[in-house]
Amino acid sequence: MAMVPPKPARNWPLWGGTIAFLVAMSWWSAHGIGFSLTELLCNSAGGTRLLQESWPPDFAFLPRLIDPFMETIYIAIVGTVVGGILSIPVAILAARNLTLGPIIWFADRNFMNILRTLPDLFWAMLFATAVGFGPVAGALALSVFTIAVISKLWSESLESIDMGMPEAVRACGGTWLQMVQFGAIPQGLQHYVSYALYAFELNVRASMVLGLVGAGGIGMILETQRANFEYERVTMIILAVLVAVLIIEQISESIRKRLA
Amino acid sequence: MSNNNSQGSIRFTGANIVYPNGTVGMKDLNLEIKPGEFVVIVGSSGAGKSTLLRAVNGLNRLTSGQIEVDGVAVPQKDGRELRLLRKRVGMIFQDFRLVKRLTVMSNVLIGRLAHVPGWRAMFNLWPAHDKEVAMKALERVGITEKAWIKASQLSGGQQQRVGIARALAQEPAIILADEPVASLDPVTTHQIMQDLVRINRELGITTLVNLHFLDLARKYGQRIIGLRFGELVYDGSAATVTDDDFRNIYGRDFTEDDVLDEDVID
Amino acid sequence: MSSKPGLLTPQKQIGWASWATFIIAALFVWSLLAIEFSPGRMIQVPAQVARVLSFFYPADMAYGWETVLPALAESIQIAWIGTIIAAILSLPLALFGARTLFPRIARFVKLVSATARAFPEILLAIYFVPIVGLGPFAGALAIGISSIGMLTKLGSEVVESIDFGPVEAVEASGGSRILALRYAVVPQVLPEIVAHWLFRFELNIRASAVLGVVGAGGVGGVLLNTLRYRHFEKAAAVLLLTIIVVLIIDMVSGEIRRKIIRS
Repeated sequence: MAMVPPKPARNWPLWGGTIAFLVAMSWWSAHGIGFSLTELLCNSAGGTRLLQESWPPDFAFLPRLIDPFMETIYIAIVGTVVGGILSIPVAILAARNLTLGPIIWFADRNFMNILRTLPDLFWAMLFATAVGFGPVAGALALSVFTIAVISKLWSESLESIDMGMPEAVRACGGTWLQMVQFGAIPQGLQHYVSYALYAFELNVRASMVLGLVGAGGIGMILETQRANFEYERVTMIILAVLVAVLIIEQISESIRKRLA
Repeated sequence: MSNNNSQGSIRFTGANIVYPNGTVGMKDLNLEIKPGEFVVIVGSSGAGKSTLLRAVNGLNRLTSGQIEVDGVAVPQKDGRELRLLRKRVGMIFQDFRLVKRLTVMSNVLIGRLAHVPGWRAMFNLWPAHDKEVAMKALERVGITEKAWIKASQLSGGQQQRVGIARALAQEPAIILADEPVASLDPVTTHQIMQDLVRINRELGITTLVNLHFLDLARKYGQRIIGLRFGELVYDGSAATVTDDDFRNIYGRDFTEDDVLDEDVID
Repeated sequence: MSSKPGLLTPQKQIGWASWATFIIAALFVWSLLAIEFSPGRMIQVPAQVARVLSFFYPADMAYGWETVLPALAESIQIAWIGTIIAAILSLPLALFGARTLFPRIARFVKLVSATARAFPEILLAIYFVPIVGLGPFAGALAIGISSIGMLTKLGSEVVESIDFGPVEAVEASGGSRILALRYAVVPQVLPEIVAHWLFRFELNIRASAVLGVVGAGGVGGVLLNTLRYRHFEKAAAVLLLTIIVVLIIDMVSGEIRRKIIRS
């Protein structure tokens, strides 16, 4: 045997603990959601029938989708613009190098994180309850969602700007607002536009499903057809939505690439 | 880990390599290397040193001609036959090419991959014999105490020793060393070159080393081969090579960039 | 001001920016009118939101412990199983989707992953619910399938960015392409890929929270019901517990991700 030192033992508490956790978590989850292949097989007969019904898509239904689809786009535009404007102060105050003080920074940071914990459809449900069913609820929900997306990304990129310009503005006797306006925003503008376009892509995607909880757009039609098990129409809607989302994403992505 | 001296011969017959962009990497090369020889290949950059080395284990493919290892032609397409040839040919790289996140031992065991059944290698179930071979390889380059350390934590010289151990673990008939010291400092350079010479003497493994530095070639080479634009322009003993020969190989006077130790230039 | 030569001159750039602003403003006003979000309506909104919010206090925590926590647990279970399905299936796809390793197969894999990414999980759930029945199992499948796309894309990008040298070293020693993946690629990419799995798990918690809306289990169905029947104290419990649980999972998972990447 060659003179090699013995292989050091693994950190068994860590390894064993990790593996035990993974196994326990998976067992608990699989058990909890009723993960069973028998169920999958037993139900597959009905499922196959449904899938057969959902093809071919009902193309005659297509003209009736135009108005709700446009509404979806309106919701996405309003949500992106309102959220985009409101996210500017939220992001700036959450950037460590630009904020007004540790207390404001801390509060704003947590505000941002809490906004981020709730999914878009939760906001949609809340606004639908508060202001009534319809596109306005959807636009408000997406505004909040947009603030969460843009301010998180933009505050991080603002933290990495070159502080020479902002400090120079301050040194010349400029106010905090002037420092932000002339020293910080010009450097962060390109990123902001790029994040806003990204948020718009997410919003178009999200606005398709807002209607499931009554917040306007094409999702409302999707919900009624789904509830009536008109699956050839459901397929038609989903296909149309996917094509539209992909087209809008392509356009937005090409603008973003040109800006970068 | 013994190697009988009848293995490890290489023969180039009318071998040509032209790259897709038109560059000539090897031009009508006829060359015979006997088992157990220690051959240093010199030439300025772009002269085709790497091309020659990488053709021996099929990393570069011939445009025409033939290379034989122990009388068997080097296969010119991917597949089992090429893998069987590569199993017998160890390679050492300028940039070491270790998997930095794996331990030294795992890196050396990579040299045993072609020797064990695929499923064993897949699940990291190494037979005792192969682990023993890997440990002996580490012992031969003198870094056994680093066996269980991650490769990323070693110095350049230590990493190259792991690279040598990986090649040795193949129990090869031939070792190809492509600029093995180009990324190392002068002191480590001499240590690594001495290791290579020692391994060649002790195990009789045919060794081909690409070197940029002339003084190293003269000091450690047994036989020197000079290349220029892919063509063989010198082939002779290291003991008798003259400065004029080097000038001819390089096609110019040599400068301090061409030697490791500047005092060598008169 | 641009430092890159050949780009728009400052003057032209200002012109370009003001045109863009004008177009966006016009689209915005047009959209506002189209969804009948008139100024009068706008003024009412804060009051309406405040009025509903006032009903949220105090949160019905008894309901929270009895009904919301089990529903949140179900959301976590859905996200976990969905993430595991996606992680297992996306690992080989990520390797075969790397252009630097498999140029031809990669093109096909990238197409498949782009298609999978295009489907929001809630739309997939609409199909899985009738196939496997109402409940969390449908949600887990929907989350799993829709996560494959993103994990494959991110995974292939990690694989494409690695040091290719060791792959050649394995092949030069006579190892097959598959063994090169096992010894030279997987050890290099695994930490980053596991970090992506964790990140996707964080996203999947939010995704699984909404799946209840189409009957695919989790806390979303509970929120929808409490709001529909105007049980605002109960809805408050749902929101409060969801925020707390998601924050905790984000923090723990984010910390583990940082540890893994640093190792």
